[in-house]
Amino acid sequence: MYTLTPRCHLPPLRRSPPPCQVASTTTTTSPAPVPVPSSLSAVPPRADPDELRSTWPQRAWTLAGTAAILSSLSTSASLVAAGSGGSPAEPLAAALAAYSLADLATGVYHWFVDNYGDADTPVFGLQIAAFQGHHRYPSTITRREPCNNLHALARAAALALAPTDAALSAAGCPAAAHAFVGAFAACVVLSQQFHAWAHEKRRRLPPGVEALQGAGVLVSRAMHAAHHRQPYNTNYCIVSGMWNGVLDRYRVFEALEMVVYFRTGIRPRSWDETDASWTEVTGAEHAAAGDDGLLQTASINSSD
Amino acid sequence: MAFTPATACCNPSLPLAPRASSRGPATRAQALLCTPSTSAFHGLRAPAAPAPRWRRAAASTGIVCGKVTKGSVPPNFTLKDQNGKPVSLNKFKGKPVVVYFYPADETPGCTKQACAFRDSYEKFKKAGAEVIGISGDDTASHKAFAQKYRLPFTLLADEGNRVRKEWGVPGDLFGTLPGRQTYVLDKQGVVQYIYNNQFQPEKHIGETLKILQSL
Repeated sequence: MYTLTPRCHLPPLRRSPPPCQVASTTTTTSPAPVPVPSSLSAVPPRADPDELRSTWPQRAWTLAGTAAILSSLSTSASLVAAGSGGSPAEPLAAALAAYSLADLATGVYHWFVDNYGDADTPVFGLQIAAFQGHHRYPSTITRREPCNNLHALARAAALALAPTDAALSAAGCPAAAHAFVGAFAACVVLSQQFHAWAHEKRRRLPPGVEALQGAGVLVSRAMHAAHHRQPYNTNYCIVSGMWNGVLDRYRVFEALEMVVYFRTGIRPRSWDETDASWTEVTGAEHAAAGDDGLLQTASINSSD
Repeated sequence: MAFTPATACCNPSLPLAPRASSRGPATRAQALLCTPSTSAFHGLRAPAAPAPRWRRAAASTGIVCGKVTKGSVPPNFTLKDQNGKPVSLNKFKGKPVVVYFYPADETPGCTKQACAFRDSYEKFKKAGAEVIGISGDDTASHKAFAQKYRLPFTLLADEGNRVRKEWGVPGDLFGTLPGRQTYVLDKQGVVQYIYNNQFQPEKHIGETLKILQSL
């Protein structure tokens, strides 16, 4: 009676209807081709819908990262409960400090990958390509399944946090130290979820998230939208965004960029006219390009 | 003073080489006003930050310690302008001169500052003053910078930052950045005002105009 269409055969979910094409003075029977930049190989195409789903390796890494974080936090809690970790106020204060520092750390990292290097850069190449793809298609992040979105950061947490926590235990550090590293890792991993919520439409947000965004606990949609506007050189932090005001008001990143420029001669991307390969694809370009985004995507979310 | 963008800044007038770092040439010009864009000199190692004798870390203040101070007559210099022509400071005796030292062409702050001087240039002319910008870039860089943003005033190439060191322009961030300092000289060539502000470049214009009006 009814046939189920496999999900991979469905057209990508459109968040809004494509805008009307600008009227052209020439009559053509087919839409004019989108001007292709000469650096097409460097331009990330729209992600294949299959690439937005979580894979088992991604789920495994997300679980591993979560386990490392929970282990760290529970170590802190058990130290407090055992009476050897001092008062609970210290770990709580440490967790708050970690939450604040994580916001700053995400800002610095985000500034770095947005402005320097490219897909061929050692170590950071995949991340830079992923951020480039995100700037081209900002809403794609809202369609990623959770483990697909978080697995890369969760993997970093699993690999870095576990030995750190073990070292802290071996050194007999207090509960506050475990709480700090656990909370820091949690905020960094979850920053990608907060980032996704900052791109999501209000009506699709889980209950309570909008209130947290409004209260400044999570980075707000308005604040992060400012980052996605030319020249893409503000509002880099994506946990709570609490550091964005200070960093932008005092032009901290501009100062860093000047220092890097005078030391190395390397210009940050935000100083120049935005390259096509980093510019957001608008609805008109989507419509003209059709659904041809079925090519390989350079993404940190490629499965291992 | 309010920064008034001008339509002269709409599109780069020169074809620009791709960045040395990674990307191909930009494929669409943007109507961004006074936004520094791809320079033909990407990847060129910027001149080393000067090591002025009087080192100072302050980024924004009107107070100065340096070789050229308020009330002194700065040493003359002869530098090439954006057209390769030698220009001496002494040539401007008899009229007030605003000499502004800036870090480098085609950087965000310096572009804002240059465009702000351009947009207020009529006011400087009305006050009978000349405006001279000096940085460590060469004449070719100045020419491209001046053409791109339609700068009507003189840019001088202080290669090796010799004049910057002679005048004692202090660096910023512990000497890692060339300082952004503006001197207002009166008709006798005596320094009447010095203003230093690295990260609020547009303020240099308002501050110097205020002083010029009182000279």
